[in-house]
Amino acid sequence: MNNIPDLPIPISHIAGNYFVFSVAAVTFLRREHHICGVLTGTLPQVPQQNVFMGLPLELMPEEARLLVEKGVACIVDEVNFQKKGMQSLVEEDRKKYLKELESQGVEAMQFQMRRKERVKEGNLKKIEEKKKAAKAKATNAQLKQDAPDAPRGEDSVVSLFDDTQSSASSHVSSPRRSSTLGAVDAMGITPTLSHPLLPQQPPADHHIPLPQVPSSYPLFAHLHSKGYFLSPGLRFGCEYLAYPGDPLRFHSHFLVVSTGWDEELDLMKVIAGGRLGTGVKKGFLIGGADEKQQPNHAGDNVRAFSIEWAGM
Amino acid sequence: MVIPIPIPTPEPSALSSLITSAPTTDNPLSHTTYQVLHNLQHQHLWTSLKIHNLATTFPASLISGIPPHRVYTHPDEQLYMVERGLREEDVELDRMFVLPTVQGQSWSLEKMAAVFDALPGPADDDEEEAEAEGQHLDTVEDATNVDKAAKLAEYYEYRTKARRTEEWGGKKLLLAMIDKGMGGEGTAVYYVVQEGTVKPRQN
Repeated sequence: MNNIPDLPIPISHIAGNYFVFSVAAVTFLRREHHICGVLTGTLPQVPQQNVFMGLPLELMPEEARLLVEKGVACIVDEVNFQKKGMQSLVEEDRKKYLKELESQGVEAMQFQMRRKERVKEGNLKKIEEKKKAAKAKATNAQLKQDAPDAPRGEDSVVSLFDDTQSSASSHVSSPRRSSTLGAVDAMGITPTLSHPLLPQQPPADHHIPLPQVPSSYPLFAHLHSKGYFLSPGLRFGCEYLAYPGDPLRFHSHFLVVSTGWDEELDLMKVIAGGRLGTGVKKGFLIGGADEKQQPNHAGDNVRAFSIEWAGM
Repeated sequence: MVIPIPIPTPEPSALSSLITSAPTTDNPLSHTTYQVLHNLQHQHLWTSLKIHNLATTFPASLISGIPPHRVYTHPDEQLYMVERGLREEDVELDRMFVLPTVQGQSWSLEKMAAVFDALPGPADDDEEEAEAEGQHLDTVEDATNVDKAAKLAEYYEYRTKARRTEEWGGKKLLLAMIDKGMGGEGTAVYYVVQEGTVKPRQN
C-alpha cells in the first residue's frame, strides 16, 4: 500500500470547495502529509447516510493551500477542465478505451488459463508417478504371477480428469499449449478500478492560483509544521482540533482558536475556552501571527498559548 | 414621636482596608491586583506574595508567590516522578507568577506575548537555582531514606535540564480573573497559561 501517486496531486476546485477524488492520493496525503480532510461521499442508494462516508475527500481551504505551498498538490478548475476535456475527446479515445478494456479482458483470460494449465500439469505429474509406481508393482507382480487390479485403479484416477485423458495417455511430456493462449477470447470484465476518461494530471492551463484562506491560516500552518493533525473544530466550538498523531489513534490535545495580533480579545473567551477544554481533557490553544515579523514560511511568526483550568 | 436610632457605619471589609492602605499608583489595575493578592493569600493560602510592576507599554503587574501545594505538573514530569516513586509533596514548591485581570478588561494576543516576554526564563532561574541548591542538600541530609534522596537529586538535575529544553513546558503563569460588575461577588478564577503547544494534563 505504499504507492505514491503522481505529484502534484490535483485538487478539484468545485463550487468554492476543494476535493480529492483518488484513493491513492487520499491515503498518501494522510500518511505522508498529515492531511486528513473530511470524507464526504455517500452511496447513491443511501443518500441519507451521514457516517462512514467515502470519496471524495473534502479539504479545508487551509489544507489545500498548505499542500500547494509545499508543492505536493495543485488546484484544478474542475468545471472548466471537464467541459474542455469532454469536448476534445474524439472517436480515437473511445476506441482506445475499448481496446484497453479488451486487453485487460485478454489478460484476465490468460491468467485463468495459465492457472488451469498449472493445475493440470500438477495432476499429470501425479498420475505419471502413480503409473511408474504401478508399473514397478506390476513388474514385481508379474514376477510373482498376480497383477489383475493395477490397471483398473489407474483408470479410475484418470477418469477424474476427463479432458486431459487423451493427452495424458499420448504425450505426457509436453502438455503445454501456450501457442493457443494468444487466440483466446477476451473475458468480459468490469475493471475493479475505473479510470476517468480525462487524464489524471490536467494540463497546466487548468491550474488556478492559491486558495483564499481565513486569517487563521498562519496558526494552522504553524501547528501543522509541528506535526499536529488538524481537523475542523465545530464539534468543540473552536476553529481547529489539533491531534498529536493520526486521529484514528489519538485523542485531540487542543481546541484551537486563532486571533489577530492586536485584535481586541475578550478574556471571557479565554476563560470559556479553558474551562471547556479542561472539561473534555484537552487544552485550549489561542494563537496568532505577529504581523510585525515577516515569516519565511507561513506560520513562522506565530505565537500560541495553551490554557488549562488551574483547579483552584 | 420616633427617635431615629443611630446606625453605626459598618467596618470596611478586610479587602477594602487592604486596598485603601495600599500605596496609590497610577496603575488602573492596582485595585484588581490587590484583590487577587488578597484572594491568593487568604483563600488559597499562598505565601511570600510580591507584586511586580512590568515595564510593558500598557499598565500590567504580576503577583508572585509560593502556593501551599503544587498547582501545575506537566504530564511528562508527572510520569518521570511516578516512575521514581516521587510524590508531589516530596518536591519543593516553586514560586509562581499570577497575572491579575478583571472581566471586561481590554486584552489582546500582543499584550499576552508582552507579559510572557517580561517573565523570567529558565536562564534567569539559574541564580535562584544555585541558591536553592543548598536547600536540596539539607533535605538530603534529613532524609532517612537515602534512596529517595538520590532520586530527588536526580529529579532536580533532570528538571533543570528539562526547563532549558522546555521538555516539560516553557514559561507559564496563572491567569487570574475577577468580576467587578455589580460590585463584584468575590470570585477569582485561575487558569494556567503556557507559552507554546503544551500537551494537556490527564485530568
